[in-house]
Amino acid sequence: MRGLPSASWLARPEMDAVLDKEAWRYSERAWNALHAQEFTAANTPALLPGSLVEQFDWPETRARRVVFVNGEATATAELHLSDGERLHLVFISVPDAQPARWSLDLPITVETGSAEVVEQHIGLDGTEILGELTSHVRVGAGARLRMTTLGDLPDSVSLYRRANVSIDAGGAYSSTHALFGGRLQRFDIDVDMAGEQASYVSRGVFAPRGRQHIDVHLDARHSARDTRSDVLWRGIADQRGRGILHGAITVAAGADGADAQLQTKNLLLSPHAEIDAQPVLEIYADEVKASHGATVGQLDERALFYLRSRGVPLAAARNLLIAGFCREAFADLGDVALSARLEAVLARRLPQAQESAR
Amino acid sequence: MLKIDNLHVRVAGKEILKGLTLQVNAGEVHAIMGPNGAGKSTLGNVLAGREGYEVTQGSVSYNGTNLLELEPEQRAAAGVFLAFQYPVEIPGVNNTYFLKAALNAQRKYRGEAELDSMQFLKSVREKLRVLHIPDDLMNRAVNAGFSGGEKKRNEIFQMALLEPKLAILDETDSGLDIDALRMVADGVNAMRYPQRAFVVITHYQRLLDYIVPDFVHVMVDGRIVESGDKSLALKLEEHGYAWIAERKLAGAA
Repeated sequence: MRGLPSASWLARPEMDAVLDKEAWRYSERAWNALHAQEFTAANTPALLPGSLVEQFDWPETRARRVVFVNGEATATAELHLSDGERLHLVFISVPDAQPARWSLDLPITVETGSAEVVEQHIGLDGTEILGELTSHVRVGAGARLRMTTLGDLPDSVSLYRRANVSIDAGGAYSSTHALFGGRLQRFDIDVDMAGEQASYVSRGVFAPRGRQHIDVHLDARHSARDTRSDVLWRGIADQRGRGILHGAITVAAGADGADAQLQTKNLLLSPHAEIDAQPVLEIYADEVKASHGATVGQLDERALFYLRSRGVPLAAARNLLIAGFCREAFADLGDVALSARLEAVLARRLPQAQESAR
Repeated sequence: MLKIDNLHVRVAGKEILKGLTLQVNAGEVHAIMGPNGAGKSTLGNVLAGREGYEVTQGSVSYNGTNLLELEPEQRAAAGVFLAFQYPVEIPGVNNTYFLKAALNAQRKYRGEAELDSMQFLKSVREKLRVLHIPDDLMNRAVNAGFSGGEKKRNEIFQMALLEPKLAILDETDSGLDIDALRMVADGVNAMRYPQRAFVVITHYQRLLDYIVPDFVHVMVDGRIVESGDKSLALKLEEHGYAWIAERKLAGAA
């Protein structure tokens, strides 16, 4: 057994040297669990089955990657990201000796410059686990943080994520989320545009199917002048899937010049699927530009006929439309490698939705 | 090629086509004219297989098969193409991806080899050049944010790429300025050949100056009431549809 540091090592500067190589970190419990399943331990990646490794082992992020397996019982890692930093956090849930729960607290700070975090949640089938991740994000004056969340979970895993984000003057926080799978996924994010001209962009797709439940609560608060929020989400529910998207925007008194846009569109692929979309707009300032809209509907029959009339078979036409519907949320991502990853998740997750919807 | 016999069609409980009969042979261009509400677009949609159109009587035979039994994608693969009056905007679906999927699905259905990306793009570039359409069209989402003229040109481009045997143009001229109209007509004329037929649905004679039809049919109240050569279109332009309606009444009396 090697000496495995707790996640708090992340805060220590000497660990940067370790991170620069290829950082693979496992909790002792996870190690034991994995060991019990007789995964070979010849080298670190081989500790995990290939089906998991290929989901996160991207060449672009290999140098700055941290892998948590079943988290820690309680752990705190504090991340101070420097300019140009690009960090890939992978949270893996695997079957354990007993039903388990992991909980992580993850403060992330970007003081200056521009940084990027990819947060990925994956797991193995049959994992009875509840993961809990709390992140406190602070974006300093003029700094930028781009965050991408990829949640692609087996049906038995539940995940509860909370994020509190505070953006100082001129800072920018932009986030893209793809939430697929899991028994229950709940994602709460509170964003405070605390300083003048702070900006918040949120893009997301969530797609519950089977008996999955995905619950998203977005709360954006314009506390200062000339702040900007732009929220665009897409929801797709199939079978008995249940989705909730609560999107609230508050423009505080004195936050004049705020620009707030919130748009969610949702697609139901089965008569038993349900999505509750709730946009809330509270405005206490005088000079504000705000718009919000939420729709829940079915596939556009006209578009379906258009595709079929050109020769695309029904099932493929449905696939095209559903993928296109999601892709709208990822249109301005601008990162080719990351777009490709999102496409791969869509491809893996969406076609099944069609077959069952017939 | 196409034989429509005594076709009756209901839409939302209302009878729109009331005994339409029309025969189109390979190599011919038929123009169908008529006032608003005559059922011209219904005809196009029924032929392409749109849902919600209930055929209560009559038959449509296409190269000897019952066209009405086929799914829309099967009709496309068999060579039927409808240029939509209102092409649908599909955000998020890339034009290249869509057309490659469409073309290869058709080829697969017909038992032909699918085209790889290189072959497909070569074909695309040729057709784009002929129609004077900029290349960036292929990188955009299907019709999303296109102007009216761009949408209609995209329909003609799709037709050129898919090379149907029977092309139905549903008011492709509406909303086009004179240059775009000429471009569309050039595209159609370049595709005229002995194995391909066109049914051109239009309100106005103007389009027929550029796409010269072999036959002109006048449709009123769900039926073809008058057929003739291209001179019929000119007479219509002169006298208006009321003239036909009067003649029809006189005939019925």
